[in-house]
Amino acid sequence: MIVPLISIILLCPLAAFAVFGLFSLANRRFPRQDYLSTVAMLAALVCSFLLLREVVPTPEPHTVNWISLGGVTFSMGFYLDSVTVIMLIVVTLVSSLVHIFSMGYMHGDPRYPRFFAYLSLFSFSMLFLVVSDNLLGIYIGWELVGLCSYLLIGFWFEKDSAANACKKAFLTTRVGDVGMFIGMMMLFTKFQTLSLYGEGGIFAQAAAQLSTADMVWLSIAGVLIFCGAIGKSAQMPLHTWLPDAMEGPTPVSALIHAATMVAAGVYLTARMFPILTETSSLVIAYVGGITAIIAATIAIVRFDIKRVLAYSTISQLGYMMLAIGAGSYVAGLFHLTTHAFFKALLFLGSGSVIHAFHAMHAHAHDDEHEHAHEHEHGDHDAPGHEHGEDSDSGHILGSEIPPDQDMRNMGGLRRKMPITFVTMLIATLSISGVPFIFSGFWSKDKILAGVLERAMEWNSVHHYLLFVMTLLAAGITAFYMFRLIFMTFFGEPRNQEMHEMAHESPLSMTVPLIVLAILSFPVVNTLWFNKDYVKPPPQPHLHAPQHAYLAPDSKTGGQSVALSLFGVSEAVAAEEEGGHDTHADDGHHGHGPAHTIAMVLSIIVAGSGIFLSWLFYHRRTLSAESVATTFRPIYNLFWHKYYFDEFYDGVLVALTVWKSRLFAQFDGSVVDGIVNGVGTVTRDILAAFVGIFDNRVVDGLVNRVAQVTWAIGGKVRRIQTGAIQTYLFVVLAGIVLLILIFRAL
Amino acid sequence: MTLQHYLVISAILFTFGIFAVLTRRNAISILMGIELILNSCNLNFAAFSRFMTPPEDISGQIIAIFGIVLAAAEAAVFLAIILAIYREFGSIRPDEVDTLKG
Amino acid sequence: MEFALKNFIFYGFALMTVASALLVVTVRNIVHAAFSLMVTLFGIAGLYVFLQADFLAATQVIVYVGGILVLILFGVMMTSGRLEMRIHIERGQLLLGGVVSLALLTLLLTVIANTPAWKNLTDDGTEFPPTTKRIGELILDGPFLLPFEVVSVLLLVALIGAALISRKEVRE
Repeated sequence: MIVPLISIILLCPLAAFAVFGLFSLANRRFPRQDYLSTVAMLAALVCSFLLLREVVPTPEPHTVNWISLGGVTFSMGFYLDSVTVIMLIVVTLVSSLVHIFSMGYMHGDPRYPRFFAYLSLFSFSMLFLVVSDNLLGIYIGWELVGLCSYLLIGFWFEKDSAANACKKAFLTTRVGDVGMFIGMMMLFTKFQTLSLYGEGGIFAQAAAQLSTADMVWLSIAGVLIFCGAIGKSAQMPLHTWLPDAMEGPTPVSALIHAATMVAAGVYLTARMFPILTETSSLVIAYVGGITAIIAATIAIVRFDIKRVLAYSTISQLGYMMLAIGAGSYVAGLFHLTTHAFFKALLFLGSGSVIHAFHAMHAHAHDDEHEHAHEHEHGDHDAPGHEHGEDSDSGHILGSEIPPDQDMRNMGGLRRKMPITFVTMLIATLSISGVPFIFSGFWSKDKILAGVLERAMEWNSVHHYLLFVMTLLAAGITAFYMFRLIFMTFFGEPRNQEMHEMAHESPLSMTVPLIVLAILSFPVVNTLWFNKDYVKPPPQPHLHAPQHAYLAPDSKTGGQSVALSLFGVSEAVAAEEEGGHDTHADDGHHGHGPAHTIAMVLSIIVAGSGIFLSWLFYHRRTLSAESVATTFRPIYNLFWHKYYFDEFYDGVLVALTVWKSRLFAQFDGSVVDGIVNGVGTVTRDILAAFVGIFDNRVVDGLVNRVAQVTWAIGGKVRRIQTGAIQTYLFVVLAGIVLLILIFRAL
Repeated sequence: MTLQHYLVISAILFTFGIFAVLTRRNAISILMGIELILNSCNLNFAAFSRFMTPPEDISGQIIAIFGIVLAAAEAAVFLAIILAIYREFGSIRPDEVDTLKG
Repeated sequence: MEFALKNFIFYGFALMTVASALLVVTVRNIVHAAFSLMVTLFGIAGLYVFLQADFLAATQVIVYVGGILVLILFGVMMTSGRLEMRIHIERGQLLLGGVVSLALLTLLLTVIANTPAWKNLTDDGTEFPPTTKRIGELILDGPFLLPFEVVSVLLLVALIGAALISRKEVRE
């Protein structure tokens, strides 16, 4: 049942897209592309749920041979384990809800059917990526989702900012993809296959070969493949495309740039988990940790509601990377799932808010209700504002904030849009890690516990540092998320005119919000609380640092260091640490001291973040402006997003342009000179000789042949009498004569 | 009766057919010659089937039946062509229809 | 005695066939030629009977005599005026055709007489079972199914083609 079900899951969205494509070829439109795409997605969702029962503890890949090249056969196939099926459900579920949401949000757009077709294509690509059992399939899906991301970011391509943003996204992720491809080729050179699972797969082979040189090789390959994840999951330093990707329609941001595609990087890293070495794990963890903090700090000072969420996404993705790098496989993927739901909810909620203002704009400007989105967007695109005072001047692309996305224009919306408010509040509580009743708390707590546990177990400075990063990011997250809520929904309306016109969104938009809000509670994520359902694969190449292999005494010693370090005097349950092997433990022991410490600390930082936010943006006992003035340099650093864009623009782009100019000059003078010289010689000298030869010799020959043929033809045509009986007579006489001559008897 | 009896009859019919096709100046007479030729072939098939193969093998007869069918088809098309030619040239004498003369 | 009667009948049929065929190619009146042809066809049908090919003989009578000959007579009627009833034969052509035909006949007879494999194959007079059923089986349920279908299509095509060719062209 596995293969047919997966085939249905893949074919439904693909068929929806194909219908659009075929109709487009005939220059027509399928009348209800939106229903078609949505139904296809819902069918895929149902099949994904059916697949839940098909999961077995030790799955085998289902493959077919695809092509044979030079003695190596590439296969294509499916691999279904518990992680795959959970990813399938997440992707199809979020995608279905986004489809439904889009029916309201994109209503009236001139390219409305195309939007749904693209969503279908994206869903297919993402699902293909998820179920592939080999790196080649993953890479194909990987590039396809990249393409869809490009198409959908640039969906309103009339806007220069959207057109630029999609190009930026495509090119930036491409940088990472090149690394990924090199990494794949390294693995291929080593193992002569791109299949991950099964007998001759990469993992089986890697587990068997463990020489030191191989370890170096594996480390480099692992980091290079992680480069792809850096690009796709917007990790530092390739994160700059994701905030600009917010130029796309908001449902796209929710689906692609929050829930699914950007999580593909995390998924890939998790898939590569069995071949991660110590070095590559650390690189991954640090990249994730630094990204988490940098993005969180940038998010504090943004005013564009979607950009705050974008940076929040980057930060949370960094979180997941850190978790996987630190060995908390289950925690990382658990956070991926919960994050997909609450971040999609946040984006859709912000879309609902934008939609509310949007409709207002349409009313204000012309009576054609919500006629064409890009026109309204075009309104905000007044040229010359690029570096205006109140613009978000750090951006190189998409600089100014459209008024309907500017949180400074909002406020007090909770009475106008109660459903949006409540659902977004639930998501915010979840992402901030408010204890016990929200899923975000559990996944985040699991990451914290996993990192701390690894730190204690290995007595590793790295992991303590990573733990601190995690905590810090958690606190900042709580702060800026509540800043968003307070600025948007609480307080007094800042822009009275816009506030007057705001309204609750239609049912097609609020229903997905409500469903996603329900999904933000831990009840529906029970699969993750089942210890046996998702198990981390073994990591044969990952060894604890040498001193971690010492006697249990030193281990407990390490724990007490940790305990004293965090000032928590809870030295119980040390005995639970015994009997665990050092490989990839993943913090399944829920009652260890690490878990308790992590939980307490995470509650404390989340609480303080929320409290500070309340003081700043609700009570206003503290003034954000004055703090900003006091810490001007830091504020500027945050405001300019650590100058990443400036760096790229000033250094990389300038270098490229300079290099191109150089080549252009070389091209113009040297290459063109040679070509022109050769051309002159050929035309004036060689061609003249050839021309004479052609006219005299070749033409003469041809004419002679024609004349001779003509003369012969004139003589021979007499034979043709036109009387069939003569012909027959000659034929028969010929036959008799021939037989007589050659004596066939 | 031996095989050679039949073969001789068939050869004579064949030669008569050829003679008709060669000498008769009327398209329909030519058709009759052709029919004679075809019949001599069929007779050969049947004769060989009778004498050269085991009794239960009657493939030669079936081929002869196919030959008859082909002859029918041929006759129909031939006459159609003759009618068309007659309309076009007002004659069915083959020596008068020599548009292809070089 | 019976054997002698059989021989007598056989030679009768053979003579009938050859003689009427000779008439077909020599008489000047085309209608006479057509009727001579009918006798020839009957004679061949009779020879088929001697060859134990009962179905073939019946087909010969039905298709040739009943179908093709009628077709030929139609052709005669539609194309020949009174004056054209006579067949033109040129002396020179007659001579040349006769020479070639005679040469051909000599050749064929030599071949028949000299081929060793064809010698001494005598009809021993054994009765074969009727062939109709077996032919039906071979055609409809055996190796000849495909040729049979192809021939049916060919017949159809010839029918349509004949109708198309002989149709009077309607010019607008």
